Amino acid sequence: MFNALRADNSPFTQPQIDSLQQSLGNLDESQSAWLSGFIAGRLAGPPSRSLGHSLGHSLAGAAQLPLPVAAANPNSAPAEGERLQVFFASQTGNGEGIAQSLAADAERAGLVVELKSLAVLRPASLKKLEYAAFVISTHGEGDPPDDALELFEYLQGPRAAQLGQLRFCVLALGDRSYGKFCEAGRKLEHLLLARGASVFAPRVECDIDYEQPATGWSASVLSFAVANLAPGSGQVLPKLALAPLAAHLSVVPQAARWSRARPFSAAVERVQKITGLDSDKDVFHLELSLEGSGITYEPGDALGVWAPNAHELVDEVLRALDIAADAAVVLDDHRHTIHEVLIRKRELTRLSQETVQGYAELAQNRELGNHFAQLDDEQRRDFIEQRQFVDLVTDFPLAAGIRVSASELASVLRPLAPRSYSIASSQASVDEQVHLTVATLYAPGSSKKRTGVASSFLNQHLAAGDEVHVFLEPNHRFRLPEDRTTPLILISAGTGIAPYRGFLQQLQAEGSSPATWLIFGNPHLRTDFLYQREWLELRKSGLLDHIDCAFSRDQNEKRYVQHVLREQGARLNQWLEQGARLYICGGLGMGREVELALRDVLCSERGLDTGQAAECVAELRRQGRLLKDLY
Amino acid sequence: MSDEKLALTPVEGIKARSNYLRGTLLQSLADGATGALAEDDTHVSKFHGFYQQDDRDYREERRRQMLEPDHQFMIRARVPGGICTPVQWLALDAIAQKWANGTIRLTTRQAFQLHGVIKRNLQPVISAINDSLLDTIAACGDVNRNVMCTPLPESSPIHRQVCVDAQAVSRHLTPHTTAYHEIWLGKKRVAGTADTALAEDHEPIYGATYLPRKFKMSFAIPPRNDVDVYAHDLNFIAIVEDNLLSGYNVAVGGGMGATHGDPATYPRLADVIGFCTPDQVLSVSEAIITIQRDHGDRTERKHARLKYTLDDHGLDWLHTQFEARAGFRLAPQRPFSFTHNGDRLGWQQTSDGLWHLGLFIQNGRVADLAGATQLSGLREIARILQGEFRLTPNQNVVISGIADRDRAAIDALVEQHGLDSWNRLSPLRLHSMACVGFPTCGLSMAESERYLPELVGQLESLMAAHGLAEQAITIRMTGCPNGCARPYLAEIGLVGKGPGLYNLHLGAAFNGTRLNTLYRESVHEGDILSVLDGLFAMFATTRNDGETFGDFLHRTGVVTAGTEQGKIGQ
Repeated sequence: MFNALRADNSPFTQPQIDSLQQSLGNLDESQSAWLSGFIAGRLAGPPSRSLGHSLGHSLAGAAQLPLPVAAANPNSAPAEGERLQVFFASQTGNGEGIAQSLAADAERAGLVVELKSLAVLRPASLKKLEYAAFVISTHGEGDPPDDALELFEYLQGPRAAQLGQLRFCVLALGDRSYGKFCEAGRKLEHLLLARGASVFAPRVECDIDYEQPATGWSASVLSFAVANLAPGSGQVLPKLALAPLAAHLSVVPQAARWSRARPFSAAVERVQKITGLDSDKDVFHLELSLEGSGITYEPGDALGVWAPNAHELVDEVLRALDIAADAAVVLDDHRHTIHEVLIRKRELTRLSQETVQGYAELAQNRELGNHFAQLDDEQRRDFIEQRQFVDLVTDFPLAAGIRVSASELASVLRPLAPRSYSIASSQASVDEQVHLTVATLYAPGSSKKRTGVASSFLNQHLAAGDEVHVFLEPNHRFRLPEDRTTPLILISAGTGIAPYRGFLQQLQAEGSSPATWLIFGNPHLRTDFLYQREWLELRKSGLLDHIDCAFSRDQNEKRYVQHVLREQGARLNQWLEQGARLYICGGLGMGREVELALRDVLCSERGLDTGQAAECVAELRRQGRLLKDLY
Repeated sequence: MSDEKLALTPVEGIKARSNYLRGTLLQSLADGATGALAEDDTHVSKFHGFYQQDDRDYREERRRQMLEPDHQFMIRARVPGGICTPVQWLALDAIAQKWANGTIRLTTRQAFQLHGVIKRNLQPVISAINDSLLDTIAACGDVNRNVMCTPLPESSPIHRQVCVDAQAVSRHLTPHTTAYHEIWLGKKRVAGTADTALAEDHEPIYGATYLPRKFKMSFAIPPRNDVDVYAHDLNFIAIVEDNLLSGYNVAVGGGMGATHGDPATYPRLADVIGFCTPDQVLSVSEAIITIQRDHGDRTERKHARLKYTLDDHGLDWLHTQFEARAGFRLAPQRPFSFTHNGDRLGWQQTSDGLWHLGLFIQNGRVADLAGATQLSGLREIARILQGEFRLTPNQNVVISGIADRDRAAIDALVEQHGLDSWNRLSPLRLHSMACVGFPTCGLSMAESERYLPELVGQLESLMAAHGLAEQAITIRMTGCPNGCARPYLAEIGLVGKGPGLYNLHLGAAFNGTRLNTLYRESVHEGDILSVLDGLFAMFATTRNDGETFGDFLHRTGVVTAGTEQGKIGQ
């Protein structure tokens, strides 16, 4: 198996590979499995039992480790229940990705693993579980993702079983720029503990730069599991773990090179504004080339984009704090100028509570400190949303005589995270291109002065011929149905229309023609019907059966997509009865309203009460017929 | 009409299927994904008085933006004889402010045009126009359009009589379909009838497929030929004897439209074919229009106007057809003569003692511009006017029926809002006329309304240099050869060929009795100016006393091939 290792598909140098192949080339499969478990355990370090303690940004280190005794004996059959259950629930593909790699590592370490979306977990089955790892994200105002709604309702309800047998741990994904950071993960742990379950590894909370803490958490889960769970049977191992690994290395070595940490440099081929002259919105269509990357995507997937902060913005911050652009900062053992760090390594456009508080301390700006301390959660969120760091330093300057060093500045800012955009194309149609639909994000109340880092970079600073660093973020939760005859109801507002462009391109290229219904909302028909010509063409050709639009500002009464659903309740119900899949893509608020409208329609069309309608919606979700990509 | 069994034009099929002009207009209006109508409905809509257009200035930009063209509609309101009350003027003005582009366009056929109306506002606009007791039905389409009538007569009792006749013809030839009321005015069909409209709707004159092509009528009161009586399908020339209206000479088969590079198409002057009494006007109209209905060419729209029917069959055939349908013969035509086809601007008094003020509106565009707030001015005038507005056939407006004591107030408003330009501008500019052209007209090949004022400015300089500043010359420009501004009846006619390119036609008669002749093809501004500079120089030095520019060009042989209207009584 080590023959597949090459310098261009692995982190090793050629001499390292030569020596690995020499030492490991003649191991048999069980020897390999043992070694795999050993290395995983060693990486994980000793499990810590203390609750609420975060592993932080670094791994626990290569301390003493318990030998992976169980893994050393791969031929013993696993006992009933002695398997690791890995559950995930997130609106984007991130949670799933982490859960998948944990499951793969565990399999490679010889464990029996089950990987599931919380959407398919029947809560009543919780009482049979013994070892479970949960990867769960937080949305909106501390809400759990849709897929976890049923579990939360169950655990909060009167019928929830006692779960004394269950040992679990939680990886909470979140975003510090929102008020209730990682609330869903915290709450899940709290609810499970309240039912008598116990924690086997500390909860780890991740901000948008989740890779390091997530890796650390996975390692601690693995370490515990390897130490405590029976290994899988000898037959299972090569099939599930080793064969796919080898295949992975040999079949798609190129694409595997590109990741969040090692993005592909894609050439920009087209940047075109697609909102009309008088539009309040600046939405752009971008075409990037993936040529030579080997990256393949499916409609519904997202593309991560690393965008640097604008020079003007960085200069403004440094000027306001009177820090020289070439002041040195040591980061990850490397020396950088603060200018470089602010351009490529730190968030300037999205504030977090920690940054506000950290800056208030550094600046010794009492006004800011006191003011922020008095705000409630919602007010803090508003404060953060309405400002960027540069506003903070301008509005709340350094106290007299106070200076802030470059390193201090770097330390209060969060690491820069990539932004992710739903892909607006299908490779069946555009081949090695990838298309994005990007709205320039303007901070509220800043009269178009302050923009989002990536949207302004993509829309305002790029031209054909430039390059942009990207990586694929697969989203298995937002794909076309396997059965291409399933009717599709495609609901979106604003740039949420992007994945449907990919869907329709795919269907057209394949020659599939399921019943399709596009429901779209934006402010004005004249300027804001994104890709209007294409949709009208598709309707004319018969591939798109219906287009219903809600242009909110085209009449006195505001009109949104949920209004369309209510107006078209009969058709909506009929399509659902015919097995339609309902997709929702766009802002979180729109997603909520659409679900309420859906419930209303089910009430009126099927004569259900609210509870029955809600159950109906939950059932659609369980069946994978209600798919969401909300942000 | 062709003897061969040729296929009918697609528009004939659309009309036939439209169920008396319903088409799928209601579905088109309800389609929120596009600002356009369904393709077929863009033809049906014309009968209801509106054209689908788009802002061509943004067509390319929006194509790149993957947006459909910036669809908008031109709505035409019929004003038979051009007579409009102050209340109606104010209503149109308000509609233009609220739903159109904030300007009013006076047409070359005495109608109003509103531009820039978007689809969802069509219903409110048409409904509001009807509330003002004007309408839009048959303002466009293959039917009889707005009936024109000389707006400012020397003798007001005669004018009143002629107007009554013009309005009666207009009413008589208005389509009977109930589709218009159903779609725009929300009126249901008469209760108790079957739900098939076919059982109910009936077009006694037009039939279910209407006419092969548009049909235009005018009434002229000599010596004024401001309606360009030779330019329309059917025309009545008032014959006044002993200060009484004895009847009308009938002229048929005029039309401006042509197609570049297609010699089978041409502008043609109407033939005077006889005389009828006022009480025969409706019978004459119905007979001529049904001849055209039955014999006009429905296989080729470029060959479908009455002028081609006439040239294909001959005048004798027409008389035979006419007698069979009308039941009488036209009397021999009576003598008359025309002096000019432009407007008389400024103050004039009629025999009833009332005053009339003709105001120059450049290219008919009533707008508020820096230094000339004509739209506001006419609004102020409408608020105090006791008389009425009369839209002229040359895109101007007459404030009519002003008592002696009210003149000062009107004068003050006219001066305040820059409406006194008739008093200041050159005769050339006062005799200039342009169609709308870019950016809204879908047919336009070159600039028209937006460019002619500038070109006239350059010609004014040339004429002044040759001492011709006070010479009246008719100059008309259109963006395409279809002839909305009747360019073939101007002494200088400019017909758009491509961006910045025009065909230069010269030598029409100042009184509209002779077509001009193509003099230079596809010329730029520079060529136009140098050609005309040379001709102005010649004209200035060798013209006869009182000779007009068009006549001079013919006398000196500069142009020769113009179609002289030989049958006109002199």
